[in-house]
Amino acid sequence: MKLSKKVVLLGHFGVGKTSLFKRFIDNEFSEEYKVTLGVQIKKKVIQLPDGRELSMIIWDTEGHSKSVEDTRKSYLLGSHAFIYVFDVTREDTYKHMDKDLEYLKNTYTNVTTKVIGNKLDLVSEKIIIKELKEHNTPFDCLTSAKTNKNVQKFFLELAEEITK
Amino acid sequence: MKDKQHLLQFNQKIQLTIVSFDGIIKETDNKLFDWKTGSSIYDTHPFFYIIESLTNDSSTKEFSFPCIHFKNNTSEKLCDVSIKIKHSEIAIIFYDYTEKYKELNQIAQQRNESFLKSKALALKNKYLLEKEEFKNSFIANINHEIRTPLTSIIGFVEVLEKTKLSFEQEELTRIIKRDSQHLHTLVDDMIDISKIESGQLKIVEERFVFSDLIAGLNESYSRLADEKNLQFETYIDSNIQEYLIGDRMRIYQILNNLLNNAFKFTEEGKISLSVTKNYQRTNKLSINFKIEDTGIGILEEHQPHVFDRFTRFNEEKQISGTGLGLAIVKNLIDTLNGEIKMTSQPEKGTIFNIKLPLKFEITKSAPERKKKKYTLPENKKKFRILLVEDEETTQYLVMKTLITHGSFYVDVAIHGEEAIHYIERRNYDLILMDLKMTKVDGYQATHMIRNNYGDKVISEVPIVGFTANTNATERDKCLKSGMDDFINKPFKREDLIYIITKQIAKKAAD
Repeated sequence: MKLSKKVVLLGHFGVGKTSLFKRFIDNEFSEEYKVTLGVQIKKKVIQLPDGRELSMIIWDTEGHSKSVEDTRKSYLLGSHAFIYVFDVTREDTYKHMDKDLEYLKNTYTNVTTKVIGNKLDLVSEKIIIKELKEHNTPFDCLTSAKTNKNVQKFFLELAEEITK
Repeated sequence: MKDKQHLLQFNQKIQLTIVSFDGIIKETDNKLFDWKTGSSIYDTHPFFYIIESLTNDSSTKEFSFPCIHFKNNTSEKLCDVSIKIKHSEIAIIFYDYTEKYKELNQIAQQRNESFLKSKALALKNKYLLEKEEFKNSFIANINHEIRTPLTSIIGFVEVLEKTKLSFEQEELTRIIKRDSQHLHTLVDDMIDISKIESGQLKIVEERFVFSDLIAGLNESYSRLADEKNLQFETYIDSNIQEYLIGDRMRIYQILNNLLNNAFKFTEEGKISLSVTKNYQRTNKLSINFKIEDTGIGILEEHQPHVFDRFTRFNEEKQISGTGLGLAIVKNLIDTLNGEIKMTSQPEKGTIFNIKLPLKFEITKSAPERKKKKYTLPENKKKFRILLVEDEETTQYLVMKTLITHGSFYVDVAIHGEEAIHYIERRNYDLILMDLKMTKVDGYQATHMIRNNYGDKVISEVPIVGFTANTNATERDKCLKSGMDDFINKPFKREDLIYIITKQIAKKAAD
């Protein structure tokens, strides 16, 4: 069996998890918002720099409204990485993120967790970076699923990191 | 019978598939998905990669995964999946709840959409507010930048007017003066509209002689009426108190704007301003101002938009203006809690009726008239003025204005620090102090002059603030910092002379 890793997209509803999922896997984007119920799962085969092939199994989960603890536990089973997505234009999607990250870190000790601020196309990058830093909001990457900014790069770097 | 049918139907929505630990399908009833025995479950859907992490030992376990999307090229099923691991076999049971989940999906869609729409609206609102703030600060800054050169233009034209000019030069000077004053009005209009929009317009209540306000308008517009060969009449109800309390400057601005409009659009006939009292209760009264002209009037379809911003209906007539005048009038009247109505007939004329609330008080002493006459003291032939100003053109203009007047010597300091150096070496009768300067600014220099010297000739010298920034806060700041008076750029020659004379005369009277 080929090398495979499970990656789960988490975060509030409407932050763009499905848009990132579709942008990365199918290079598609739609302005229309469609709620995700349960979980949709797709596979993307990635060529790693060392020549190996990785099947990245991405679980795009239903967004939560309060806390990541509301996400069904079985969806998180056997994960290699969590991508916590927030919306840079909605403070409510990152205001209490520290509690969510703490929960993931304590409950899933061996799982890599990354934080993405999405919808970068709607704000000035400089201003949002300044605001996030002022509020001590951690993030690994700022993306725009709409413009494809940083999306491919982020997933490829993650693939490398979890296969080391 | 019905129950049995239901059970049969439900049975059709459950599939059982048996898989070995290496993912090979051993048995499947294919009620939902058509899979071949002997093939790998991993090739059917990426969900099944989960099996890898569940089968690290062969103990009996059960896992449940609700609402998994299984999509193929033609359809999508939303199933709850139960995985039971026993011995070396994995039993996977699929429950097809597509219909139930699609119903739930609609509800969730509506709930989330309405939430996200409200968030998007709030974001748009925040963006518009930020844009508005930027616009207002931009206008305030550009105001300062425009006013400074405009001060020079208007001032030098006034100086130029007083020199010997040929007929052609006189005509050219008249045009420059007219256009620069027009530019001045435009800048003021822009500032006013941005203040109104940002809620920064402050109403200043003061006691004033009401008849003087109307007389001032009468004087200016009678001259214009003569030039245009029009009739101009003003009428004041004798029942109106002589001294009223209200925002004199804004009332003047409203009437001036409306009269200016009336004169712009009237080529023959008559323009009138009549002021009557509506009613009076305790110390409050309501005044009606009626401005009537026999001008070109406004077409019926244009009338609802007459107070909109940037509205001009007579482009072809090439009448100058920003289209902001009536919008400002309407906003000012609203701010003053008044009302305005307009009636108009094309080719016959327009009437504006304004009702404004004002106050009065019964007092024995008359308020100080705005233009009380002052004369320079006779103990000196010439008075020494220190001009503290960093702009070269303004320095030159003020020097030229004061020296031409004949009663003043002028020294120039380019910032507050240099001003301090000067006042320690020479006595001055007055200081004209710019506010924004490098090193020591006008407020700091004033503070130092008022507080650091025991010699009263220095510490009590009259200081007049001098700036292009026209807001009331700036004026208050000047007076609070210890200045005696304030003059705006661009200034008129007679206003500059008046304020200097007034302050020197007041000091001499002390």
